[in-house]
Amino acid sequence: MDLRDKSGLLIDDMPEMRSSMRLQLASAGLEKCDQARNVKEAIDRLSATRYDLIVCDYNLGQGTDGQQFLELVRRKQLLPLTSAFLMVTGETGYEQVSTAAEYAPDDYLLKPFTSELLGTRLGRILDKKAALTPIYKHMGAKGDRTLALAACDELLARGGRYALETLRLKGELLAGLGRDAEALALYENVLQQRATPWAEVGKARALAALGSEEDARQHLRRALDAYPNYLAAYDSLAQLVEKTDKQAAQQIVEQALKVAPSTQRQRRLGGLAFENKDFARAETAFRRAVEKDRTGFFKGHDDYVGLAKSCAEQGKTMEALAAVKDMGTSFASTPGLKARQAALECQVHVKSGNEAAAKAALERALTVQKSSGLDPQAALDVAQACFASGRQDDARQIIQSVAEDHHENVAVLAQAQAVFAQAGLEDEGTVFLEATRKRMIKLNNDAVALAKAGELDQAIAMLTEAADRLTNNAQIALNTALALLMRVHRNGMDARELARARGYIGQARQANPEHPRLAELAAFYQKIAPAGAPPLEEN
Amino acid sequence: MDPLVATAIHDAKNALLALDIQLAEAERRPAETDFRTARGTVARIAGQLSELLTLYRAGNGQLRLAIDDHDLNDFLDDLLAELGPLPAGIALDVDREAATRLGAWAFDAYLVKLALLDALRNCLRHARQRVTLALSAPPEGGIRFAVGDDGPGFPADLLAGGEPLQSAQGTGLGLSFVRLIAERHATPAGRRGRVELANDGGAVLRLTLP
Repeated sequence: MDLRDKSGLLIDDMPEMRSSMRLQLASAGLEKCDQARNVKEAIDRLSATRYDLIVCDYNLGQGTDGQQFLELVRRKQLLPLTSAFLMVTGETGYEQVSTAAEYAPDDYLLKPFTSELLGTRLGRILDKKAALTPIYKHMGAKGDRTLALAACDELLARGGRYALETLRLKGELLAGLGRDAEALALYENVLQQRATPWAEVGKARALAALGSEEDARQHLRRALDAYPNYLAAYDSLAQLVEKTDKQAAQQIVEQALKVAPSTQRQRRLGGLAFENKDFARAETAFRRAVEKDRTGFFKGHDDYVGLAKSCAEQGKTMEALAAVKDMGTSFASTPGLKARQAALECQVHVKSGNEAAAKAALERALTVQKSSGLDPQAALDVAQACFASGRQDDARQIIQSVAEDHHENVAVLAQAQAVFAQAGLEDEGTVFLEATRKRMIKLNNDAVALAKAGELDQAIAMLTEAADRLTNNAQIALNTALALLMRVHRNGMDARELARARGYIGQARQANPEHPRLAELAAFYQKIAPAGAPPLEEN
Repeated sequence: MDPLVATAIHDAKNALLALDIQLAEAERRPAETDFRTARGTVARIAGQLSELLTLYRAGNGQLRLAIDDHDLNDFLDDLLAELGPLPAGIALDVDREAATRLGAWAFDAYLVKLALLDALRNCLRHARQRVTLALSAPPEGGIRFAVGDDGPGFPADLLAGGEPLQSAQGTGLGLSFVRLIAERHATPAGRRGRVELANDGGAVLRLTLP
């Protein structure tokens, strides 16, 4: 592999290390190489330029590390799968990097090393990237998993040295497409030939997806006996156990944190400890999350919310209010942030018995909530503050509009249920949310039935009213687009109607770019639209 | 103190003194072979100290294995690059065909590499002409690395299960290390790695990973 035509980005916080690595990279043949001193610079570089190769030191200072950075840029899709990532580490970092599974670097290199070894490793990972690019290019946000699967099969048919890696990708793709029985068969087949941790975890996940949760749990426990540092196994097990036993889930996350530190797991631990009413543990976990990351890239609003609430529950009002204040200085000011701060402040004051301050804070929260379209979590925080202040009807109204807007989003519905549970209204929450969900399903079904019966005008009237009100509901937007396209199909070409349909497909994509029916609607649009009609926007 | 620690310190001290002589020679009349020998000595001391550190961490419950798939040919490339040049008059046969046939396997490449390097260095010291590194898939599953030489073979008491703590070859530390690494490799089905020593035209160490 010739590195001369490749572009690289070197990330290291130590100036001496950067210059010596730069020399080593150059003598290994990589001459086009930008440098970044910290996470912020690296993110700026990645946002502006596409690199073939990232060489990153594990220790990045500012309370962060290369592994957290890699997870962040892969998750935010700032680093395409076709770009290679090499982690450079000392012996301690090596253990932590090598236990990562979901967002593992393509390779890691232990310090110190010669330029020759560096060149060999870089060549190797670039060769692998090149061989797997036919799969990767269909795997991004705008990718098509079915095409990626076809590319896997093509590569597997040809055989060769990347067969195992290809099977691993194929398993993930099958699971992502919900083809769990096929994924299970693939993993079992791999495991018949060899023992390897990723296939063990993949098998357990497929078992769980197919409803055999107890089998999956046992399988993961045995996998952890053999691979006690395999983080993906802890994460999957905690997720499964959490459904029935939050205490046990908390313990599992504690164990995972001993294997490798990460802000995300501290947050998870804080959340579980809070639910288990282990407020002191929740406080330390959230505090670690907000204090350790001095870059601000890894922590989020939720960490401060968790910290403030854990403090308030322990009667530490001053600390709780300090967390609310810090939250304001740590992030860019948005309506969502302001609403969450005010809602949180209200709840802290309710806990400490300061009614006047609580009321004033709630008014501020409601003012923001009414004047801006809040993200679901911020809106639910305001609802929670309403419950805490005895304003049940306001709370229900806010939750209803969130639930209607996100009726297909299991995570948002679970958060809404948690708000009811916090207010001691768990049973009411279950009934209320189920009724809302059913109402939305019925609305969709009724409209589809009308459309099928040929009553397109009536269906469209019903759907557009809902789609214009519930802009985050992808399913309603898609059904609206479908009905509009059906009418164009029946009545003949109408550019205005076609544009409306296109708008609703865009709205659905905005609400949920992963919606399973997006591709189908896009195909129908292409079929109906005459040549020369504007194409659908990709984003 | 664990007698292993004393053996390792003893070995490292002797190796450092040998290194000092090699450097003094090189200072007097710089020659490529002196530097090569010196680097070999440094690699050996560093390897032994890494083994000792690993044993220490295992004793403290801090040793963590990083199991991942590794292409066996890539692994052999790295291993041989780290082993460095061979002593004059000794050949090393590496079974590349088996590596290609077996493809990839999941194991801790860093620790297994340390163990095999130690075994190879031992063989290179005792071999008359030839050292072999073979790979195979045993019928009960797993993969097996076999490192062998055509030297005098292991002492009989070692094969009988004795512990070679005060050995002139320094095998005490290496053997404890490779046994630890084998034992720590496990599968969810309960299989574990193991180490076997044999005399078969010379000393042979077989490391089986599950």
